[in-house]
Parts: sequence; C-alpha cells; structure tokens
Amino acid sequence: MQKVRAQWPLLATLMILFGLGYPLALLFGLPLARRDMQDLRKWTRASFSAASPDTLADEPVQGLSFGATPERGILIFDGAPVEVDYNIEGNEVRLEQPLSPSDIARDTINLIALGDGIYSIPDNLNQDISLQPTIYIDGSLVHPGSVETNEVPDGQRTTFTFDHPDTSTIGRLVVDDQVVDDYDIITVSEAQTEVMLAEPPAFGSSLQAIQDDYMWLNETQLVFNTSPAETASVQAIPSVMRLAEQLQGEVDGSNQVFNLARGNVLEQASTRRLFVGSRQLDGDDERPDERVDGETSAFTFASDTGLISLDGVLLTALTDFTRDGNVITLLTTPARNARLRQHPDYLLTNPSTGQITLAQPPTEPVWTNEYSYYAEPSCGNTVLTCFFALPQHPVPFPHWIIRRAPGFVQKFPVSDERNVLRAVLYTSTGTLVSLALGGLLGTLLAVVFVLVRPLEQAVLPWVIASQTVPIIALVPVLLLVLGNLGITIQTSLLPTALIGAYITFFPVTVGTVKGLRSVDPLALDLMTSYAASPVDVFLKLRFPAAVPFFFTSLKLGAAAALVGALVAETESNNARGLGFQILGQVQSGNVADVWLLLLTSGLLGIILVNLVGLIERLVAPWLGARS
Amino acid sequence: MTTQPQSKPATPSSYTVPIIHADGINMIYDGRGGQTVALQDANLEIHEGEFVSLIGPSGCGKTTLLRLIANLIQPTSGTLTVTGKSAREARLAREYGYVFQAPALYDWRSVIKNVMLPLEIMGYKRGERRERAAKLLEMVGLEDFHKTYPWQLSGGMQQRVSIARALAFDPRILLMDEPFGALDEITREAMQAELLNIWQATGKTVVFVTHSIPEAVFLSSKVVVMSPRPGKIEELIDIDLPYPRDVDTRESEAFFHMATKVREALRGVH
Repeated sequence: MQKVRAQWPLLATLMILFGLGYPLALLFGLPLARRDMQDLRKWTRASFSAASPDTLADEPVQGLSFGATPERGILIFDGAPVEVDYNIEGNEVRLEQPLSPSDIARDTINLIALGDGIYSIPDNLNQDISLQPTIYIDGSLVHPGSVETNEVPDGQRTTFTFDHPDTSTIGRLVVDDQVVDDYDIITVSEAQTEVMLAEPPAFGSSLQAIQDDYMWLNETQLVFNTSPAETASVQAIPSVMRLAEQLQGEVDGSNQVFNLARGNVLEQASTRRLFVGSRQLDGDDERPDERVDGETSAFTFASDTGLISLDGVLLTALTDFTRDGNVITLLTTPARNARLRQHPDYLLTNPSTGQITLAQPPTEPVWTNEYSYYAEPSCGNTVLTCFFALPQHPVPFPHWIIRRAPGFVQKFPVSDERNVLRAVLYTSTGTLVSLALGGLLGTLLAVVFVLVRPLEQAVLPWVIASQTVPIIALVPVLLLVLGNLGITIQTSLLPTALIGAYITFFPVTVGTVKGLRSVDPLALDLMTSYAASPVDVFLKLRFPAAVPFFFTSLKLGAAAALVGALVAETESNNARGLGFQILGQVQSGNVADVWLLLLTSGLLGIILVNLVGLIERLVAPWLGARS
Repeated sequence: MTTQPQSKPATPSSYTVPIIHADGINMIYDGRGGQTVALQDANLEIHEGEFVSLIGPSGCGKTTLLRLIANLIQPTSGTLTVTGKSAREARLAREYGYVFQAPALYDWRSVIKNVMLPLEIMGYKRGERRERAAKLLEMVGLEDFHKTYPWQLSGGMQQRVSIARALAFDPRILLMDEPFGALDEITREAMQAELLNIWQATGKTVVFVTHSIPEAVFLSSKVVVMSPRPGKIEELIDIDLPYPRDVDTRESEAFFHMATKVREALRGVH
C-alpha cells in the first residue's frame, strides 16, 4: 500500500497521458475521416441494371413481379418501351391487358449441362447473343454475382480473403475460367472470409468467388453455385421484358435536360446505356480536327450536330459559338490545350446530381437500362465510422497501441535482428558504453579542471562550444571519419557509443567539477589538520563528495545519450538499433508501431536513468536511504 | 595513555615547559572595508596536561587563536611554538587532534570508518586502525554503532564520533572549537562529563573554545578570558576546583564563586 502511494504521481501522469490520447486521436483523425468520406474515389460503386421478371409463365399473364424496382420504372422489350398500358406498384407491374409468353420473353435457349454445375450456350447460337442473357431455372430468375479476392495471386500465395455482406458468405471459387474445389475455409468473420487453396493460383490469374446464384466463366459458359437438379430446365433468354429506369424530365419537344434517379454518376460514358425510345444514345464525344493551340477559334468536328463543351462545361449556341455545318466558331478563342469536345447525343452535365443534357429535345421517353454511380463512402456513412475505418490513425487510441504491443514484439522472431527486443538491447548496450566513456572522460576533465584552474578557464568555453554543435550535423562527419578508418558503420556500435559519450561528457564534467568543489570547508580543514597529501584529499574527500553530483549529471547524460544513440543509429543505417526501426516505421507509415517505438524509447530512457540510479545506490550506499 | 592523572595538581604553574607558547601574536585580516584586527598581541602559555578554555564574546578571536595553534591559518606576526616546534611542524608531526564546531563527519563513511580516517591517512596498519577505532568508540559509548552512517546519529552522538576521531591517532593536544555549541543543555552536560573522563583518562592537553561560563568553569583547569575588537587576551583565571568533577561540583559554592569570577572578568571587558 505504501508502495502504491509512493507511485501515485507516476500512475496519475500515466492515466492523464492515457486519457489525453483519446481526444488527440479524434482531433487528428476526424479531419482525415471527413476527407475520406467526401472523396468520391473512396466510395463504393454500384450499378443500376434493368430488372428481369422473377418468373416466366407458359400462359398469358397480366401481372409481373420484378426483383428490384427503379424509381421511375418503364417496361422495355427488345430495346424499346412496350406499347401496352401498365401500372407499377412496388415491384409488381399490373398490365392493362394480358401479354402472351412470347411478348414477355423470346429466343429461349436451353443450356447444355457440362456437369459439376457448369452450363454452356450451344455453339450455333453464339453469334446471336450480343447481350449477356438472363438465366432462368424452371422459369425462375437466377442472379449472377461474384466477388474478386482482396489479394493479388502471385503464384506463391495460397491464403486469400473475400469481402462480402455480413449476412452472406462466399460460394464456389473460380480461378480464371476453372472452378476450384480444393480449398479450406480458414476463418469467417462478419464481412470477410479467409480461405486456403491447395494449389497457389498462377501469377496474374483472377481468383473469384460466386456470391449469388451463378457467374459467367466466359462468354458462353457459366457455373452455378449449387448445381440445378438434373431434370431442371436451364434457359438463357437474351430477349426478355425488363423494368428499366425512365429519366426525369418533360418530354415536350423542347426540354433537353433530364435527370437520372441517382446522383454521383460515374463520368465515363462506357458505364452508361441511355436510350430515347428505341434508339441508344451515343455517349462518346468527338475531338476537333484542329489542335486547341490558343490561337485557333474555328474547329471542325466529324458530325454536324451535337453539344459543344469546353473543359466539361456546356457551351450555348450563339452566345458562345456559331455553327456552320460541322465547323464550330467559338466567340472567345479557347486557351491552349483546353478540352473542346462535341457530344453528338448527350453530355453528363452534372455528375453529382445525375443531370444529362441531350443534343436534341426528345419526343419519346428517355430511359436507361444500365449506369454506374458512387453508392456510399466505403468507410461508412458517418464521420465516426470513417474514423474507425481509417487505414492509419495519426494518433491511435491508446488501447489500440497497447493491443498492438504483443504483435509488434512478435513481428520478427527473437532470432531476427529486427526484433524490437533485440533492438532495445542493442541500443541500450550502445548507450551504456557511451555512458561509461562519457562518464570517464567527464570525470578526467573535471579532475584536471579542479587541479589546474587556468586550464579550466582556457578549455571550458570549448567544451561548452562542443555542445552547441548540432548532433544531427556532427553525426555525418563522425560517420565519414569512421568510414575512412575502415569501420563498417552500418554494423558498428562505435558511432552510437562515441556520439553518446560526446553528449554525456559535458554534464558529467560540469557536475563533477561542482561536486569536487562542493567540499565542506571544515572537512578540508580536517584534512589539513591531518597533514594529508593532495592524493588523499582527492581520494578520501573530493571524490566521495562529488559522487552524488557525478551521478546526477550522469542521469542527465543518460537521457541525452539515448537521443544521440538513436540519431547515430538512424544516420548510420544501423539496422540493429531502435533508431533505425523508428525511421523505418515512419517511412512505412505504420503509425501504431511508430507510437510503440516512441513509447519503447521513452521507457528505455526511464530504465537507463533508473539503472544509473541503481549503480549510484550500489556505489554510494550512504546516499540511498537519505531521502 | 597509561598514566591516570587522578591526582592532577590544581595549580598548573608547577609545569615548567609550556607545550603551547604564543608570544606576541597578531592576526590581521585584510578585508574590503579595511583591516580587521582579529587578535592583538596575544601571549599565552599552556602546559602539558592542562585543560584550558578560551572564553569571550563573539569576535574576540578565540577561534582564530585555536586555528593559529592548529596552523590552519598563519599569524600576521608573532611566534607560536607547539610542542617545541613551529605550528606548521607540529601540524605536520600530527601533534594535535581538532574537534570542530560541527562534527564534520564524512557522509560516505560509516562511524568506525570516520574514526579510522586519520589512521588511514597516517598510514596505520589495517588491524591497528580497527583496534584503535573500536576502543575509542567504546570510550565515547558508541560501540554499537560501528556500521552506522553519520546521518543516522543524533547531534550529540555525531560530536562524540568526532571526538573519537580526534583522539584516534593519540595526539598530545586536543583542540576543540565550541564542540558542544549546537547541543541541547542536557546532552551538553553529559558530553562535558564524558569529555572530562576522557581527559582524565588520557592526560591530553586540551584547548577548548567556548562562550559558556559554566562550561568553561566546569571543564577547565585554566580559563583564558578574551575581549573583542580587537581580539585580546584579558585575563587568565585558574580554576582550582578539585578533579574529578561531577554533578555535585556544579552545585558547589566554589563552582559559583569561580563562575562569578569569570563572569566579572568578562563584564570587565565590555
């Protein structure tokens, strides 16, 4: 109890530091989290695709059910809006009059079972299939879906992880176009599954796991997660009625601006398929024949209609440019290398709201059956979830640092030089050697100064000057000298020891001089009364009197010598030391490890100073119990 | 040390050759505010075996005189012989032990090692060092504290160690500069009795600086009364109280008589 009470200031300090870690972690981490949350590149992508009916029927039907419902649904068949009237309620579509099966699905192709859940489209029908068809088993829709592994197959690795929604797990594994069954599931966590393959996938191959019902192996073959029954009819239907999304906007013959249901649309035209009536719009743009060199203002394009944009901003006819056939004359000469484009059909004028401007005012509904958008920040929807999802926290929560400690120690085995415990040992050895050297040198100087006072006045300014030379500048010079002497500085303890000694000798000199002079006049008189020799006065009086001063300054020196040792190790690229490790971790951006190393070196400082204190108690037992 | 001067004569004049002889000593310090005369024309004879107290108010030069005898400082003029030699030679011959106002023990040495310190310096053999130190510690009643460090002792005990240390190398003379000044009255009287015992047991010549009249009277065979500004020896008073002296001595009429005599001498100097 007494012992605990004696330690309470230390404990209190520790707790304050510990507690301080949390607000600091938030203070430094939240802005990063906010940035992550706002950076579209760090959002998950999702695609809208027109939905196919869940079931097919053999008889005329009046109601259809779709798996997903777009915001403004429009029924599409054979690439054009259907002519019948209908109502959409939820994901149910009610037709005004029954449609025959052939008005809902055509070109039914029976797939050939190849065994093991693999099916193939007959070769002779290959040519007709431009779109990957919808697959039905016994008239019921099945969904494609696969997930790529998080790791890159390098020909050696056998363990891989797959992300998936936390409610599901992964299905069969596919390497390139081959199904792999020889693997073990190692761990399944909330949203990730780790597997170990018997054979490492080849370098550069693609490793995927089926996540829904099936995935395409190539253009003609697909594999099911669970093989359909032998008697089941497995059909591929390229032409089926789909529920697409109609763009919002008046179709009145003059309006050109329409909106997709979702914002944050991907800018690349290849991720969208837009239609007006049955005509697919061309998302590509045309470059002018002429270079935009800052002088030319008339440009020739391939076609004679379309929207003109300059650096992504839509230009208005007459106010910004005039058109003469396929030659555009800009009223203001565009700057050199400005991006001048003609969009024959449309331009995504505002990706964040999903606004699209058409080149011609449409007279038929504008719809899409596919486009991609940024769904949500991959770190989550709140700053806090993004904070927790940060790959590196500049200031980690203190308990994270503590939790990391065992792993950090075991990161390298003890037999490896990079093991942190070995590094600590190495650096402490260097520092202790430097303390011994510095202590010896300091004491010698102090004795000389006390014995020969004029020498002190002559040399002390230089000693002080030596300490104002920045270590960071001194170390390279020392390393150069040592290197020229033929010493391998990368593995030598010498730089550490010399720099530490260089730092330590100064406080030791100053402290010991003071100590040697601190002698009680009466104690000196006593020596005089004994007619003692100067040697006796030194050995029996001045030295013992200087011991506490010596050790106090050595403790100061110990802390400084450690810093010197770390700097020396860093600059000499001595991989065996703690200093090098700190630098290495900083460069690799491993923040928790850096913090651990900081704490370790701080702790090492405390231990070294206490070690000096312990030696003091052994050497000077009369001081120990006094306090 | 073998002689037991139990029947020491009360009149020191029966001794012929003085062991300490100060003849016309002047001690002048040069200070910033001019010269300070610490001691003026001091003449003093102290004979072997005497217990002489130097008494006087602050600044009368009693400590200066003691330090001159010890050759810790040199007189401005005058001659000083100690045991027939110059003060310096006497110091080099280790003729005296000095007990300071403060115990001046070395913190890093245990009690017995403190007592052994002069013996180490003077080159005594290890066995003899220990033997002598142990004997002296027994004499001052600290035989159970050999391994103790000074800071663990009371003030009185520390001063007893300091006395043992001064006696360790058996000097002929013991110079004591207000050794009991910092002690409380009870300890001080006990220490005085103990000092008298030691003196009587060893037959040393003691020069004792004090500013306490009862202390001077109780201990001394002769009291030297000094006066300040400039420091001067005013009067020598023989204390002819019989030894051994004890508690009863302090309460005797003769004691009061002697004390009064010293007090009057001191008053005269003011």
